[in-house]
Amino acid sequence: MSQQTFKSASKRYWRAFVPTMVVYLIATLAGSFYLKTFDVEPTWLQATVAVACTLPMLLFLFIQIRYFLETDEYNRMIQLKGFAIGSGITVGAIFLIGFLQMFHVIDRVEVFWFGPAFFIAYGISTYLLGGRQCL
Amino acid sequence: MKNIIKALRADRGWSQAALADQLGVSRQSVNAIETGKYDPSLPLAFSIARLFGKSIEEIFEDETATDAKLAAE
Repeated sequence: MSQQTFKSASKRYWRAFVPTMVVYLIATLAGSFYLKTFDVEPTWLQATVAVACTLPMLLFLFIQIRYFLETDEYNRMIQLKGFAIGSGITVGAIFLIGFLQMFHVIDRVEVFWFGPAFFIAYGISTYLLGGRQCL
Repeated sequence: MKNIIKALRADRGWSQAALADQLGVSRQSVNAIETGKYDPSLPLAFSIARLFGKSIEEIFEDETATDAKLAAE
C-alpha cells in the first residue's frame, strides 16, 4: 500500500487542482479576448497564445495521474476505470464523427470539443462506478 | 468476498470514517469492502487483520474454497 494516505493525496490534489484551473481560466479568457479584440499577427503569436492555453490543461492531466498513483487502491480502481471508459467513449466518438465527416454525412465539427467531451464522459463514468464521493 | 469487518468495527464502536482514518483509506473504500463490492489487496487485508488483532482468514471468508469444500463433501 502507498505510504500516502487517501486524505493527504486528496489535499495535495486540491492544492494543485484549484490554482491550475484558475490559471487555465485566466489564460483562455485573456487569450481569446486578446485575439478577438486586436488584429493579432503573425501566426506564431497566435500559436503561442494557443500553447499558453493548453499548458495548464496538460498540467491538470499530470495532477490527475499523480492523484491516481497516490490515492487509496479502491479510489484508484474507480478513477482508472472511469478514465478508461471515458477515453473509450471519446475515441469511439472521434472515429464515428470522423467517418461521418469523411462520407459527407455531417459538416465539420470543431476538434476542440472532444477535450471537454472526454472530461464529461470520464466524470459520468466515475460517478456511475463509484458514486458522488469518487468524483 | 464475505467478511466480518462491519461486526468487528461495531464491537469497537468505530464509524466507517474512523476505521478508514486508521487504515489510511477513504470511507467509501471501507464501505465497498464491508459490503463485498471490493476485495482489498493483500497489504490492505494484512493492515485490517493487524488492526483487529486477527488473522486474514478469521476476517475474510474465501467463498470459492468454501464452495469447493462443500462440493467435495
